[in-house]
Amino acid sequence: MAKVLMKGNEALGEGAVIAGCRYFFGYPITPQSEVAEYLARRLPQVEGVFLQAESELAAINMVYGGAAAGARVMTGSSGPGISLKQEGISFIAEAELPCVIANISRGGPGLGGIQPAQSDYFQACKGGGHGDYHLMVLAPSSVQEMMDFALLAFDLADKYRTPVMIMSEGMLGQMMEPVEVREPVTEQYAKPWATNGCAGRKPNIVNTLHLGVEELEERNRHLFRKYAEIQAREKRAETMLTKDAELVVVAFGLLSRVVKKAVIEARKKGIKVGLVRPVTLWPFPDEHIRECLETAKMFLSIEINMGQMIEDVRLAVNGQAPVEFYGRIGVVPSPREVEEAIMAAAEKGGLV
Amino acid sequence: MGSVTIFAGGFGSGKTETALNCALELSRYHKRVVLADLDLVNPYFCSRELEQTLHEHGIKLLAPIEQLRFGDVPQVPSEVVGYLGMDNEMVFDVGGDEVGACVFGYLRSYFASRTYEMLLVVNPFRPFAETLEKVAGLKAALEKASRLNFTGIVSNPNLAVETDIDTIVAGHRRVEEYARRLDLPVKFLVVEADLYGPLQQKRLGVTLKPIRLYLRPEWL
Repeated sequence: MAKVLMKGNEALGEGAVIAGCRYFFGYPITPQSEVAEYLARRLPQVEGVFLQAESELAAINMVYGGAAAGARVMTGSSGPGISLKQEGISFIAEAELPCVIANISRGGPGLGGIQPAQSDYFQACKGGGHGDYHLMVLAPSSVQEMMDFALLAFDLADKYRTPVMIMSEGMLGQMMEPVEVREPVTEQYAKPWATNGCAGRKPNIVNTLHLGVEELEERNRHLFRKYAEIQAREKRAETMLTKDAELVVVAFGLLSRVVKKAVIEARKKGIKVGLVRPVTLWPFPDEHIRECLETAKMFLSIEINMGQMIEDVRLAVNGQAPVEFYGRIGVVPSPREVEEAIMAAAEKGGLV
Repeated sequence: MGSVTIFAGGFGSGKTETALNCALELSRYHKRVVLADLDLVNPYFCSRELEQTLHEHGIKLLAPIEQLRFGDVPQVPSEVVGYLGMDNEMVFDVGGDEVGACVFGYLRSYFASRTYEMLLVVNPFRPFAETLEKVAGLKAALEKASRLNFTGIVSNPNLAVETDIDTIVAGHRRVEEYARRLDLPVKFLVVEADLYGPLQQKRLGVTLKPIRLYLRPEWL
């Protein structure tokens, strides 16, 4: 199929349409607004509904309703808006409702700025809302992946009855790259639990209130059996030049592309360096990182935040090698800057 | 009074890079060149990022002040009205779609005495410029919002890093067809400098304007 030139946010929106999503409920915020703008035009063309809600709270609860009725539903926002949605996200996770939530991230905390960031890693991966739950979190690194991961996210969401978050830096949402538009997904999962009319059967109930002590504990155990299954089957990562790497850089999202360039340059200077790029941030691909321990003498987590994923890298490494950090806020560093960070870490670790 | 050139079009059609190159070209022949960054819609990838380069070429940049550069609120640089009343060459980089073009509903009365060119920048590989209907709809919406009429089309067929000669030739044919049906001339075709030579040999019968891309990060 012929390629089109798309912004990341547009590719994400089109990916949702291709996946069979016909409902988007959201509220505008930079740098996510083009997802909404695109779908506002696009969804009516496929008999879908775009609805700009009165607030993020309303939008996420509309997602709850649409997903409970068995539809493929999406919402999108950026840091501050995602914070507002956390109560609803916790409800959706508990009710096991499949949906896709996009966080086109900006720098925080507070209102922060609108420049690209990865500062919502903790929020996305460590349970931003109340209670024991997880989201699946996918981190695309290209405009093509913004589209492809939308398809993947809807599939995973239905497969595991779980909310899936797509988290990208604001810049990836804004920049343009050629995209191969995928074929429409026509096969959908059966949803016998959906509240979509109960003629001829007992009513389905989608509810998150479990007042009985044993009932609540069993609900939590049920969720965590599912999370264990997801952890066993769905960890994804891309690795580059890790076979003989003494220094392993860990970076995700658009930033990982910058790091790739820097790794290649550092290799030319004789540093045995490789890259692990987590594709799923939750479940975190700890095994991909542990595999590097055969040759790795140190790790370097590079992030556009003050050091969040580094905690998961340290858990994966489990004290068997030092884990260093390099971070920026609101800036995608250049390959040269990352290369300097790699060289500095290598020097510190005595690898030069 | 010098020229007023307005680049308008859909989101991501190439307005900003075209406007930057146009202003830099004008600065070779004129002393007073003004580039107005009127992107009220989106603060990413704007002319304002190139302030230093423009300054070095003696181009006056009108853009949101430093603290408000990432302000995420629609703002019209206050000096625009004043510069419209002076003798200069003015280039306008307008924000995407009709939302971006509505600023001219306000500015129009301040340059009623100046002749202007308003150019519709079209990249047929963008999702909302794929068909004549879509481009005609966009043109009508932009003209209504800006209260100005387009005087020509800038052909900008590209797939970013994957652009080759065949891409340009095929895309330009579609732009020519749009232009014919919209009864507007194609003023020029923009092409990255490294493809300028090979494209010349294709003799497309249109003015080629070699441009340099300023806003794409070097690592992409």
